[in-house]
Formats: sequence, C-alpha cells, structure tokens
Amino acid sequence: MGASAALLSAAGVIGAVVAMMVDGRRAVAIAVVFLAAGLAPTAATFGGAPGVAVLGACAIAAVLLALAGSIAGRILPWLSGLDPTIPAFAPSDRLFGPRSSRAFGAAAAIPVASWVSFNVPIGQITTAVQGLLFPIAYAWTCGVIRLLVARTLEDLAVGVAMVSVPTGTAWLLRSGGDSFPGAVLACVAAPLAAFVAGWLNGRGGRRTHSRVEAEG
Amino acid sequence: MNPLVTAAVWLALGLLASAALRRRTARLVAVVPLVGAGLTLLVARSSTVAVPLGGLHAITGLDRAGQGVLVAAGLSMTLVILLQPSIDVSVGRTVGIVGAAATIAMASSDPLITALALTAAVATLVLRWIGQSPGRATLAAGRVTGTGTAALIAASPLLPLAGFTTGDRPIVVGALLATGVAALLAVYPLGGWAAGIMASLRPLDIAPWLILLVPVVLLIGERIPGGGLGDGSPVFEHVLLVVGLGSAVWGGIWAVRGPAAIRYGRAFMADIALCIAAVEGAPVSPALSGALIIVVTHLTVAPILLRSAGAGLLWPRRVAWALLSGVPPAPTFWGRLLLLEALAAGNVGSTIAAVIAMAAIFIAAVLACSTRARLRPASGWRRRLPDLAAWLLVAVGIAIGLAPHSVSAFVFGG
Repeated sequence: MGASAALLSAAGVIGAVVAMMVDGRRAVAIAVVFLAAGLAPTAATFGGAPGVAVLGACAIAAVLLALAGSIAGRILPWLSGLDPTIPAFAPSDRLFGPRSSRAFGAAAAIPVASWVSFNVPIGQITTAVQGLLFPIAYAWTCGVIRLLVARTLEDLAVGVAMVSVPTGTAWLLRSGGDSFPGAVLACVAAPLAAFVAGWLNGRGGRRTHSRVEAEG
Repeated sequence: MNPLVTAAVWLALGLLASAALRRRTARLVAVVPLVGAGLTLLVARSSTVAVPLGGLHAITGLDRAGQGVLVAAGLSMTLVILLQPSIDVSVGRTVGIVGAAATIAMASSDPLITALALTAAVATLVLRWIGQSPGRATLAAGRVTGTGTAALIAASPLLPLAGFTTGDRPIVVGALLATGVAALLAVYPLGGWAAGIMASLRPLDIAPWLILLVPVVLLIGERIPGGGLGDGSPVFEHVLLVVGLGSAVWGGIWAVRGPAAIRYGRAFMADIALCIAAVEGAPVSPALSGALIIVVTHLTVAPILLRSAGAGLLWPRRVAWALLSGVPPAPTFWGRLLLLEALAAGNVGSTIAAVIAMAAIFIAAVLACSTRARLRPASGWRRRLPDLAAWLLVAVGIAIGLAPHSVSAFVFGG
C-alpha cells in the first residue's frame, strides 16, 4: 500500500505551522524537532529507515547543541553581548503583530507549495517524483517568510533551520547515490543554527543575570 | 594543496587572531588574509571551471580565474586592514570565516556545498553587523541575504538538470539562483540592505563582504548560465540583466546625490550591478574581460577609499577617484568600454541604461575629487607609511589602466 499524500502533507503542514509560530529562547530547537517530526513520514516513504534516522539525528543534534551552546555561552567568561530574542529595532505600533504576519505568510505559502508540488519534478529522469513535494515546499516557503519578517536573531536562526530541514528531506526524495550525503549536509545547518542561538542566549542570559545582581 | 586545507587555515588564523591579539597588536589581523592569499597560490590548479550546478563531488582544486580572484581579494583585504586608522581585533574572526567560505564556494561544483559555504559567510557577517549596530538596516541585511542563501540551498536538490532542460523545473531553478545571486550582490530590489549598512557601519566591518565575497559571487554568477540550465538560462540571465541595469542606474544616481561618506559604496554597487548585467546580458562577448578589469580596479582602490575621508590620504583618494571616473587612461575606462560593447550587441535599451549609469558614476567621481578637506600634514615615517602604501596602490591602478588586458590576464589567467 502506497503512502497517503494527504497524510504526508498534513504532517508536514502541522510541523511547519508550529515552527512558524514558535518564539522564545528555545525556538530553534523546538522548530527543528517539530519540522523533523512533520517531515519524517515523507522521509520514511522515500528514504526508509535511514531517511528517518537523518531527520531524527538532526532533531537530537539541534536540542543537544542548543543546550551545549547555552551552557558554553554562560560559562566562557571573555565574551559578552547580544540577546537574540530582543528585536534589533523597535517598530512602531501596528494593528497586526509579528505572529499575525507569520500566520498570514503561512496561509499564503499554501498555493505556492501546491504549485511547486504539482509542477516541479525532483530526482533523476528515470526516478523523478512529482506531486509529493507539498510538505517540503510548504515548510521551505514558511522558512523564507519567517526570514523575511524576522525581527530578532532568534527569528533568523529559526528561518535558517526551517530552510535546512525541508531541503534535507528533498535530497532524500531525489534518490541516487548522493541523496543521503546531500540530506545530511543540508540538515547540518539546523543544529548549527540552534547552537549559535543557544550560545547567544547563554551570553544574553549571563548579561541579564549580572545586571540584576548589580542592581540588587 | 587542497582548497579545503586553505579554507581551514583561513578559519584557524581568523579565530586565533580574534582570540589572541590585543589592541597594540591589532594590525596583525592583516596576517589572516595575507596568509590566506599566499596559500591560495599553492592550491592545486583545476583544469575545469567549477560551476555549482553539478552533483555532490569532492573538492579537488581551483581554476585559474577563481585562484586569481581569491588571491587579489586576499591582498586587497590585507591592505584594507593595514590602512585603517583603528582596528577591532574581533574582525579577524569575520575575515577568517568569510575567506574560508569564499575559498570553498569558489572551488566547489556542488550547489549545496557552495550554498552552505555562502550561508556560513553571510551568517557570520550578519551576526557581526547586528552586534555592532542593531537596527533596521543590519536586520534587513540578515533578512535579504538569508533569503538569498535559502534560495541557493533550495535549488540544490533540483540540480543537476540532466534530462529536465525544459519545463517548469529549470525555470524554478533559474529563478532561485537569480534570487540568490541578486541578494548576495545587493542588486536592487534586493540591494537596500547594502546601502543601509554602509551608512551605519564602519568600513572595516563592510570590507569582508565587499572585497572577499562580492567578487566570488560575481564570478559564480557569470558561470551559471553556461552550466546547463536549459530553459532556466534565459530566466537567470534576463532577470539579472534587468535588475542589474536598474540597480546600476539607481546606484549611480545615489552616488551623486547621497552623502559623501557612502559615495564609494554606492559607486561600487553601481559598478558591480553593471558587471552582472553585462555578463548575464551578453555571455559570449567581452563582458567578462570588462567585469574582471573593473573588479581588479576596485580591489586596488578599495583600501584607500574604504578609509574615512577625515583620516588623511587626501591626494591618493582624489587620484583613486580619478581611476574610478572612467576617463582614460583609468582602468575603469577600458572595463566600462568592454561592458558597453557587450551590452550594445544586445539592444539599445540596455546600452542607454548603461550609459546613464556610467555618466552618474563619472559625476560622482568628479564630486569626490573636488571635495576639500583640511588635514594636518603627517610627520614621522610611521605616520607616512599609509601615504606611501596608498601611493603605491595608486601606481598599481595606473599600471592597470595602461595595460588592462595584460594585468587582467596576469591576475585571472588568459
């Protein structure tokens, strides 16, 4: 029995929507975990157990590296600096906030992903796949929208992760000798983004902590 | 030597320089690009040109033009650092990572590796820019360049296009690659971020993008249409021709109208936009030679013009601007003539747009030359060293103007 395209798409859309909406200090790790979970059925269909292992390893690495980055940022004494969750500039008050614009972007990504899925084949000429790219294209489009409406460094890191994980899954779909190395390489960016965000969070957290102590 | 080893040395030296150097020894940061450029000379020569449209391959060497671009950019970056009045040692980290990424991007024929290398470079630059000056302009740099590298990453699983040279797939790939190249070269409508950071950051913070990354992306962009894009080639070429010409005119006008402090940045952006428009609009033509002459001229004068006007070098700055004016024997005359010749072979509209952009850059150069400044004369040999280095660079610029093809062939190969 073949996999249900609707089921694969639904899982991918749920993962991408959660990644699109998540905020806060652990946003990158949460986004990577949900994206990997949402795209795992697609990866399993085309890459089998090794495909799921690539996404699983990516999610675990993102969580661990975010934690390691945060701890390292708190411990290492010679650097101080930038909190990634504080907006880089203060925009004027608007009717719709950052989450509203992301929700609108997530809705607008549906027709884009749908067109890509139906019109763009992926893979070699003999093994090309068409019509199953929807969850990947949707997650990627959401990632680009998240980058474009980013207000903080954390948003930029989530955007990079949201582009990285679906691209890795797309490499699994294309089949051929280089699909697994390609998928691993493409997925590497997500844990690295989680590490950088964790590192900056650790440093930002240390600075806030020391300021509170000084005020006390 | 493998390009990966050179990239590793760039990276290691950059990290070491930012961790070990102190304010008194800050000028030693210049060792990072100098050693990088020296090692690039030792990299194994590849007989084939690396076009990032293939499958996953091992990186084995650099072609002659790529090697020339990286060496010239490394030397130029060295002189930019040496001629700055003050240096923040943490810039060594940025220079090291961007240099390593540029080396890998230039040597790789795999779109994913190239895209990931460019993502690493851009992420490092954006982190530094936002850290130095958090604001709308630096955040826009992150948004736009991030989107550009995301587009390049997204194109990677769709490549190579063997068997799919017609239909929607090559068109989607062409559009993604054009978006990536335009965003990284700061071509309008994706170029506002570069103008913003030039106004809000110090020249040394912008230099790694301007000197190390832009020439590499320009060369990669020139090679893409020849790599078997099929129906995507016209999309890639025409998009970059139109936005490049529009950007050149816009950049030229703002080089004339804008503040003097960012005039060089605007002129640089206009010239690069003109180059990308010409090499995409007329691929089989003298456009590439013209673009390379303009790139090598900018790499020569950038160390002088990226130093703020109030920090001395009044007369070398004036002569450097004269070299950018496009009046013979300035090297830019020959470069722009070749670009114009290439564009004229296409259609009259692009020729008119290019002439307007060139005229605007000429006016900007005249305005910059006529700027008056009252400076204290330098005394002592230590204070006169920047003047000496600047005059040597000016002499190199004049030499390029007297023998543009020979110098271009010497740097980038025949």
